[in-house]
This record gives sequence, C-alpha cells and structure tokens, in this order.
Amino acid sequence: MSDLTTVGKKITKRDAPLKVTGGALYIQDMKIPGMLYGGILYGQYAHAKILKLDTTRAERLPGVMAVITAADVPNDFRFGIMKDNPPLKGGRVRSTRDEIAAVAAVSAEIAAAALELIEVEYEELPGIFDPLEAMKEGAPLVHEEMKSNILKMPWKLVCGDVEAAKKESAYVVSDTFRTQWVTHCCLGTSGCIAVFDTGNNLTMYSNTQIPSLAQNDYIEALAAFGLKGRRVRIIQCTIGGGFGSKLDTYAYEYIAILLAMKTRKPVKFIFSREEEFFATSPRQCSITKISQGCDKDGRLTFREVEMVLDNGAYTSWGATTPSVMMMPISSLYKVPNIKYVAQCVYTNNTYSQAMRGYGNPQATFAIESSLDQLAEKAGLDPYELRFRNANEPGELTPQNFQITSCGMKECMAEVVKRLDWKGKKGNGNGRGVGMASLIHVGGGARVYKSDGCGTIIKMDDRGKVDVMTGATEIGQGSETVIAQIVAEVLGVNIDDINVINNDTDVCPWDVGAHASRTTFVAGNSALGAAQKIREKMLAVAAQNMGEAPASMDIKNGVVFSMQDKEKSMPLSKVLRKVHYSPGGKMFTAEHFYDPPNENFNKEFKGNLSVSYAYGVHGVEVEVDRETGQVKILNYIAAHDVGKAINPMLLEGQIYGGGLMGIGYALGETMIYEKGHLKNGNFLDYKMPTAKDVPPVQAVIVETDEQAGPFGAKGIGEPGLVPTAPAIANAIYDAVGVRIRDLPITPEKVLRALQEKAQADTGRSGA
Amino acid sequence: MKREITFKLNNEERKVEVDPGWTLLYVLREVLELTGTKEGCGYGECGACTVIIDGRSVNSCLYPILEAEGRAVTTIEGLRAASGELHPLQRAFVNEGAVQCGFCTAGMIMSAKALIDENEKPTEDDIKDNIAGNLCRCTGYVQIIDAIKTAAGGGRT
Amino acid sequence: MTRFEYHKPHTIKEAIGLMESLENAKFIAGGTDVMVLIKRKKIAPAHLISLRNINDFSSIDIGDGLQIGGGVTHSDIVANEFIQKRYSALTDAAGKVGSRQIRNVATVSGNICNAAPSADTACPLLVLDADVKIAGPKGERQIPLDDFFLGAGRVDLGPGEVVTGFHLPPFGLNTGSAYIKHTRRQAMDLPMVGIAVRVTIRIGGSEIGCKDAFCTIDSISNILRRLEDEELRCEDVRIAMGVVAPRPVRTRKAEAALRGKVISEALFEEIAEIAAAEAQPRDSIRGEAWYRREMVKVLTKRAILISVDRVLRPDDMI
Ligand SMILES: Cc1cc2nc3c(=O)[nH]c(=O)nc-3n(C[C@H](O)[C@H](O)[C@H](O)COP(=O)(O)OP(=O)(O)OC[C@H]3O[C@@H](n4cnc5c(N)ncnc54)[C@H](O)[C@@H]3O)c2cc1C
Ligand code: FES
Ligand code: FES
Repeated sequence: MSDLTTVGKKITKRDAPLKVTGGALYIQDMKIPGMLYGGILYGQYAHAKILKLDTTRAERLPGVMAVITAADVPNDFRFGIMKDNPPLKGGRVRSTRDEIAAVAAVSAEIAAAALELIEVEYEELPGIFDPLEAMKEGAPLVHEEMKSNILKMPWKLVCGDVEAAKKESAYVVSDTFRTQWVTHCCLGTSGCIAVFDTGNNLTMYSNTQIPSLAQNDYIEALAAFGLKGRRVRIIQCTIGGGFGSKLDTYAYEYIAILLAMKTRKPVKFIFSREEEFFATSPRQCSITKISQGCDKDGRLTFREVEMVLDNGAYTSWGATTPSVMMMPISSLYKVPNIKYVAQCVYTNNTYSQAMRGYGNPQATFAIESSLDQLAEKAGLDPYELRFRNANEPGELTPQNFQITSCGMKECMAEVVKRLDWKGKKGNGNGRGVGMASLIHVGGGARVYKSDGCGTIIKMDDRGKVDVMTGATEIGQGSETVIAQIVAEVLGVNIDDINVINNDTDVCPWDVGAHASRTTFVAGNSALGAAQKIREKMLAVAAQNMGEAPASMDIKNGVVFSMQDKEKSMPLSKVLRKVHYSPGGKMFTAEHFYDPPNENFNKEFKGNLSVSYAYGVHGVEVEVDRETGQVKILNYIAAHDVGKAINPMLLEGQIYGGGLMGIGYALGETMIYEKGHLKNGNFLDYKMPTAKDVPPVQAVIVETDEQAGPFGAKGIGEPGLVPTAPAIANAIYDAVGVRIRDLPITPEKVLRALQEKAQADTGRSGA
Repeated sequence: MKREITFKLNNEERKVEVDPGWTLLYVLREVLELTGTKEGCGYGECGACTVIIDGRSVNSCLYPILEAEGRAVTTIEGLRAASGELHPLQRAFVNEGAVQCGFCTAGMIMSAKALIDENEKPTEDDIKDNIAGNLCRCTGYVQIIDAIKTAAGGGRT
Repeated sequence: MTRFEYHKPHTIKEAIGLMESLENAKFIAGGTDVMVLIKRKKIAPAHLISLRNINDFSSIDIGDGLQIGGGVTHSDIVANEFIQKRYSALTDAAGKVGSRQIRNVATVSGNICNAAPSADTACPLLVLDADVKIAGPKGERQIPLDDFFLGAGRVDLGPGEVVTGFHLPPFGLNTGSAYIKHTRRQAMDLPMVGIAVRVTIRIGGSEIGCKDAFCTIDSISNILRRLEDEELRCEDVRIAMGVVAPRPVRTRKAEAALRGKVISEALFEEIAEIAAAEAQPRDSIRGEAWYRREMVKVLTKRAILISVDRVLRPDDMI
C-alpha cells in the first residue's frame, strides 16, 4: 500500500473545470425542443375541505396546454413508503404544501398566470400541529380513514435489562431534548423534465440521488397510469446539492409525468426558492426523553430513549430515521443495556425526509448532551467519562454491530490536544469547551433488500477507460474517488479515466447516494471491476511478452515485467494487439458489489454496516452574557475515515458538514405557525454565510478498514452529527446553562442565564 | 414593448432585443443562453447570479436589463483567456477543492474576481466580507476562502 | 415576469417631469427593494423611473459638514475614509447592509425612502442630525430626517418629489458615533435591533484627541476604568433605535438623561433602562419583543461606549 500513485493523493475534482467555467449543465439549464413549463397550485390551508375547484379559466388562457387535478390521477395512485401520498390531492388538503392542481404551458410565465386563474373554495378544518396532541385519544385525525394519528411503524429496540441496570446505577440522569425542522438548502432547486417517446417510454431528466429506486418508482407509477411494462430511463443532470433531499421521489415528478402523458410534450418543472423551502421535505423534528446511568467508576450502565417524531401529513423516509437513530443509541460508547422506542405521528405539518445524518444528529444531540449531565453528576470530567466508555475495535455492540476498525479514542485525543481541553475546561469565565462523538455507518447500510452497486469498465484501443458506475455524484466527489481507485488498480493516469454516472440506460444498479455508502460500496465495486480487467490485461500481456502474469505490473499506462523493467509494452499496444488479432476481443469487466452486511431482524438487530465511522468534535465557545450570543472560537473535527482516498475532498466533506452542523446548532430553523412556513427565504432562514465560519480544523485519523477500498470508510454525513451537542456542552461549560432545545438562539441562552441568575440569588438568599 | 439595447458582454459588443421587465439574469440565461450564471433564489439573497458590471459585483437577478445598456458586463463565461486557459481564480478553485456541487461556484468566482481586481492583497476578513452574499451549502467555505487567497497570490495560510 | 416600462432620465428635472406625467410610476435607484417587491407581486408599477443615470448624483462632498448625493450607494459610503472617521456610525451601518453585491447598487436614499423600521442607515443618519434634501415639481426643500419619517414605510414625499441627497452638519473632534446592528448571522441579515449613538464629550477640561489615551483593544473595560479617575462629561448626545417602533426613532428621554452629565457606569444603566422603556418592540418571526427590549439596553450602553472610545482613540476608529 505504500507506493500508491493516485489513492491517498490530493487529486482535483474531475468535474471542477466544467463547474468553474460555467459549463456544467444543471436541470435548470436543460431545454428540450417543444418543452412545456409546469406549475403547481398548492392548497392555502393546513387542513381544509376543498368545496370547489374550477380550472376552466386557466384552461382558456392562451398558451396553456393542460390543467390537471386529482381527478386526472388514474387508479388513485399514491406514492411514498406508506403509499399515503397522492401526487394531487382531492377533496381535502392536509398540509399547506398539498398539491391540488397543476398546469403545463408554453412558458413559465403563462404557467404562473394560469395558476392564478384557478378558482378554489375551501372550508377550513381544525388542524393538529403538535405531535403530542395528535397522539392523544380523540385528537382530530389527519387521515380520516385511519384509526389513529400514530403511524403503524413501531420502532422498538431492547438490549439487556434497562430496569435492572437502573437500580444498580450509581448515577442516573434524565432529561428531554427537542430538535427543530431544518432544510437542505441545496443551492440548485428541485426540478425535472419528463419526456415520452412515441412508444410511451419515459425519459426523466432528473436531480435524483437514487436513480435505480426512482426508476422503480416511476415504473410503478406508469403501470398505475396505464403504461404497464414501459421503459423508464433516468438521465441525471449535474446536481446542485443533495444532502438527502433527493432520496425520495416527490409529487412534482409524478405530476410532470402526468402532464407529459396528457400533452404528449416534454414537461419541465423547476422549483422556485419559496417552493424549495415549503414543498420539499425537511429534517424531521424530534422530542426525545433520555435517561442514562453509570456506575461509580463512570462505566455506562444503561441508556433509555423515548422519541416522538412529527411525521407531517404524509410519509417519506423521515419516518424511518429511527432505524438510524438506533445506531448511536445502542452503539455510541459501550452501553450494555438499551431501550429505545419511537413513534411517528401524523400532523398537519410538512412531512419529513432524509437529510444528511438521517436521524443521527437528533439522537446524538440528546445522547451527548445527557452524557455531559451524567459526567457532572458523577463528578467526572466529561472527556474522562467518554474516554472510559469509548468504543474500540473488536467490539460487538448490543445491537449486534461488529466494530472492526475504530479510531474514537484517537479522535478524542486529537480534540483534547488541539483544544487544550485541560487548560480551557471549567474556567467559567464566559468561555468554555465541549465535545461530542459520533458513530455512523461507514461500510454501507443494508436498509433496502440490496445494498449493492454495479460497475462496468471498458477499455478502448488507446488505453482510455470508461467506467460506468451506479454511484451518483451529488457534489461530494464520488466520481473522482472512483476514478482514483480505478486508476490505481489499472496503473493508468487518472486523466485517462472517464466516469459515466448519470444514465440508467448504461449505468448499472445502485441503491443510491445515501448512508455515506458511496466511497465504500461503489468504491469496492469499482475496485472489483478494475481488478478483473487488470487480470485479463496482464494475462494477455504476459502471454505476448513471455512472462508469468504474476510477475507483471502496470504503471503510468505501461505494462512491464517486475524482474526486468526493460521488458515493457504500452498498455494501448497490448489492447490493440488483442483487439486486432484474429478472434480479437475488447476488454470489459463488470462487478457487482453487495457488502456482507445484514438487514435488521425483527428486533432491529443485525450488523447493518460492514464498518462504522467514528468522529469526535470539540469546540471552544465564548458566550456573551448580556446578549446570549455564542461565538465559536475554535472548532476541531476529528474523523476516523479508515483511509483518506482523497484528503482534499474529505476535508471538504468535513468542513461542509461541520458548518451545516453549526447552522443546525445555532441558527437554522423552519418557523411553522399552524402549518404555515413563515421564513421560507434565505434572509430569514439563517443558513451560515462565509462570515459565520469559525476557525476550524479538520483532523483525519486513519484506521485502515480492512473491508474498505484501500482501507476507506464512508464520511459523507458524519461531519454534522456531533456539532450541536458539542456546542451545547461548551456553552454549559462557559456559563452553566444547558440548552435542550435546538437551535440555540441568543434568546434561549439569555433567558436561561436570567433564570439561572434568579435561581442563584434565590438560593443564596435562602 | 420590446427595445433593442447594446452592451458589452464579456468584452464583446452585444445587441439584444429585450422587454423592459426582464432582469439581466433572465436575458443572460434565457435569451443569450449563457447558463453559467445561476439562479438560486431570484431575490438577491444567495449570490448565485453574481456578475460583474463596470467592475462591481451585482446580483443579476435584481438588475433591470435596461440598466445594462452601455455598460460592461462580465459573466463566468468571460473569465477564461482567449487561449482557453483558466483564470487564476478558476484554477485555484479547482486546485483547492473549492467546488462541490458547483451551483454557487460561478457567482462565488465573480464576487472573488471583483474583490481581487480592486484589492490585490485581500485579508481573510476582506474575502469573507465580499463573498458573504454568496451562499454555499456544500463546502463550509473554508476551501473557497483558501482558493481566493491562493489566486490573490497569498497562498495558503 | 412582470411588465413595466423603464425610463432613464439624466437630470432630476427630467425625472420629476416623468413622474408627473406618467401614471402608476415609481422611482427606482438600486432596485434592491423595488425589484424584490415587484417580483414578489407586492407592487405592480407600470413605469419605473430610474435614478441611476442622473448626472452628478453620486458624489460625496466635504465642506460645511457632509453632502451625500442621492445616488450614493452603501459601497460608496464604506469606501469613504472621511466618513469612516468623522461619521463612523454611517460606515458601521452601510458596511453591514445585506451583502457586497447589494451594497454595490443599493443607495442610502433608497434605504431611507423605503422607510423600513429595520433600515440600517436610518438610525445613524438620525443621530448625525441629517437633513433630507428634496426636489419636486414645486422646487427644492430640506427637512430634518426625523420629520421625513412618517410611519412604517411612509415618508414625507409629495407627488413627483425625489430625494436628492443628505446634508450632515460638521462635528468636532470631540464627537464620536457608532451603530450596532444586532443580527443572528454575521452577514445577509436584517437587524433584530439597531442602535446608533452620537456623543460629544469633554474630558475634565483637557484637549480631546490624544491617540494614546488608551492603547488596548479591550476598550469597554478600559474606558470604564478611566472614567473613575477623570471626568468625562457628555456635552451632547443622540440615541436612535431601529426595529423597536413602526419607524426608526430617537429616544429623547434617554438622550436628555445623559446630556450634560458626567459619564459613569451607573448612569449607563439608567440610560439603558430609559431607552428600553421607550422602545415598543413587537414579536415577529425575526425576534421576540422581550429580547429586543433587552437588547436595546445592552446595545445602547455599548454604542455609547464605542462612540466615546472613538473620540478618545481617533486613529483606531474603524
Ligand atoms: C438580499 C437583501 C438584503 C438586504 N439587506 C438589508 C440590510 O441588511 N439592511 C437594510 O437596511 N436593508 C437591506 N435590504 C434592503 C435594501 O437593500 C435597502 O433598503 C437599500 O438601501 C435600498 O436601496 P435601493 O437603492 O436599492 O432602493 P430601491 O429599491 O431602488 O428603492 C427603494 C424605495 O425608495 C424609493 N426611492 C429610491 N431612491 C429614491 C430617491 N432618490 N427619491 C425618492 N424615492 C426614492 C423607491 O421608489 C422605492 O420606493 C436588503 C435587500 C435585499 C434584497
Ligand atoms: S439568484 Fe440572485 S441572489 Fe439568488
Ligand atoms: S458547491 Fe454546492 S453550493 Fe457551493
């Protein structure tokens, strides 16, 4: 491994030159001859009966080619994992983002004008916006055909005996933590173009980060729309940010399909920024009750967590985030006894989806905040408590995760050293330090029946390589990482590698860009295919040169004998020789890698991932006691990445994740009032700007994961997982107030400081 | 009523027929098909649409097209040398890992260009101040700031 | 896309003439408020009359105080060193408006005429005793900014009238000013509260302007320490608050409580309380009323301190 030429190097991103020159084509930039522009009319109310819906005036507007409503959706088609979401809602609206009508017109301007001509009358119904209220018996039902607002998706994990452990614990803490809705803020808004050919096969230009699953969804939809057995091709444009937002299919895509069917023309949808805010699905908000205990030596004894998640009016992946929350709950630090239950509750709010970290940030906020409380109760330095319970290689966690490589302690050591933890901790001078750790899947995640990814490699006569991969590039750099891996194995220059990753007609199956799985799974898949083709090439080269394949190697596009370096031949020559000989052949190889991880069993146990990524974040803050403002003075993000295949891209993931985490911790929140989003714009939604970037260090810890490609594990999501609790803990260290409710706004800090001052004077007065 | 205007676009005189209600962004993207300049919000809040007009960075999404008349507009497409060589900022963005999804990149580079054209040795604070109107969700800005420093000749600090 | 006609007059007279002759017309300067309102369909003018091409409209002139032209942008203000030194509060505010791109086109006039309670340059101009210069069909007039604001989004501009600039009186070296914009983010943000202060002071009879008076950065504690040994008398003061009322307002009671007094920490507390009592903040998605009121207290104190500091350390004034 020592003489790697491409892997482990700072290789520039392959698509960067196109992007810095403005040449990359995003869905916004695509036009197809004859294309129509779509627009959607959303309901005005969070909960209402639709009394009248009249589209005649819109239909009459010149340039309008079609107007559709729920009546135009065949077979009561519904999408989403619970099949509870019709693309167009009829009869009733259950949230303010409910789509009730859609138009296709010759220009975006006419489409917008047509929407204004649709006449709707509503009878407003009482809505339910608090999941705790919605759980109560007799609460108004969001879906009247269901008996309860509580989703039939019971999440429950039990390991060991929590009740017994509680009794034996020397110290126990309990508290409740809440997290808010936040949204992805992809700079490129959502969009698609649906095109039918004359045979009624669908081509979808799309932003999806799950091409194969989206293809399935559309095929299912076509069947419902009367086009059973037709083909679906997905062509991904350059994607303007993913972060989980494109992990499901949305109503607008089905609407585009319906409109394209009806008009027989390509139909394009592009969300406005407002739509992007209110009509895409945010990170799920959560209410978490947590208890943890330890013995008198500070060894954790149990962790008990109860969660309520606001599901919104329909169901998407947000409802399944407990499957990932279980991971930190059961396996972040060594905790022998675990109990976790989560309930997702329908409300008339927006419905949630996947977002970077997939539930992990919410769970980790509760766990790591509570852990600091426990340390205080036990009289231990929070670092000490964490170190004593840190995960280690070789561990089997209560949820049956097989921990292979684990650099948690090394990460912790980096944080302690770089923050000057001992020097800064507990000074109580308005400045303070805090830390929090993370575990995340780093070797795939078998949440679907397959966790696989395919790769096809073909070589041409000049030694150039085409790599067709199922892995989606959402900006994270998968294309570059895959090219690096293939270049390394084939011994060719990285510039000779062309990665094709955006067309389901040529790219093999992949479950999607989620769960930080791409480097690991797609990387292993590419590695496998590259190895196959390498072997074939070496075999013919050896034959031609009268050598044994085992004694040959390829570097810089030249095949040579390791014994006698003089004996060499350019790879291109080998390829041509084989191609142009009688009975000639061209080299291709194909490899499907499905990691040896497990689906959960009925008890939600099983080795979800082949390897697990770890990290520890440490932060020093200064709290302005008069304004409640929190300033980050220093931020250390140490991550166990297995092996850094491309340190520059990796750091980019850590910086980007870290700042997203800081936004989550300190400012970002979607303000909903009775189901209406009040701050759906970039001025009022406080995503961090360049001026909000604190001094930050990304620290890479390498643990050489045996199962990973060249030792690598996934790192796409972890960057933001422990940020919020690390900051909350630092604030507590600085000024002694604990904020349990994200985001940590100046108002909350100031109020807590005032309450503390009152309590302190009360105490000293008594 | 459509009107014909002339302005200098990436060093070339351009004549276009425009509707007075159009923004510069609309004309660039939809009429002239220069799609390198992006629309991330349409309200001046994200900076994806940043272009340079007479040396200053502006949000083209709020810029009435008729104000462009007689002015010099530079977009991301106009940055490369005639030889095709990347502008030092473009090269630095590639080399420092300042690009992820790339949707913010054009606007970011235009803001950075306006800055280093007026201030050859910007401090880190100058850089942050000048790109604070360019939102980026992917990078956390660190490598972008590094890239601008590099392009300005400061190198990494 | 909305439809409107666009006019580009070259003189104020022409602009006024167009405004008089056209139906449903609106002036547009940088357009950062107007274009947003049009795009959000809040307004639908049939004509926009641009003020961007008016000759000699963007000058900043020194002499008899300061003359700011009607077309001066926030970036123009930021780049002006004289303003930075002598009218610091205005630089503080202009430098924090939106983003560089916004500041490059957005004008001070537009900010004032739009008359949002959160308009950043409003409070500084109020404390700097700015007059608004107005030209209209009936001629020219000049009125104090305080009289120009009538209410939320409402200003004293008659039909066809246009703001041609601002006049700010000269201030001596014993005057300092500051504006604090309290935001959630460091940029691209509207103030939750904005406080501007101008003070004119006298130190126990000695000359003002010794740049070595204090040399540390920790100005607040240093000033307070200094206050204990020497008398620092406030000759004159203005305090203005943004986002705590339908329009940017001066807090005259707090000003009166400070004027003529020897500055002390105890006095600060009192003034802060008075200012907070005068503020009438409301709850909104951008901030809660109680918090805004608290911030009036804190920021009033701080803005006074920075202003005083700027008198005492003129060379470090930024
Ligand atoms: C993304 C973004 C961020 C912003 N951030 C801030 C901020 O941080 N702080 C802040 O205070 N504001 C902010 N604003 C608002 C706006 O930028 C300012 O108010 C700006 O100063 C307006 O100036 P303008 O030249 O663009 O005005 P315009 O939009 O051109 O005009 C505003 C109003 O004033 C009138 N008007 C303009 N000039 C004259 C004149 N000379 N005589 C008579 N009437 C005139 C117009 O008819 C219109 O009614 C922001 C806006 C955006 C889009
Ligand atoms: S598109 Fe112009 S600032 Fe966002
Ligand atoms: S690179 Fe994606 S928004 Fe900046």
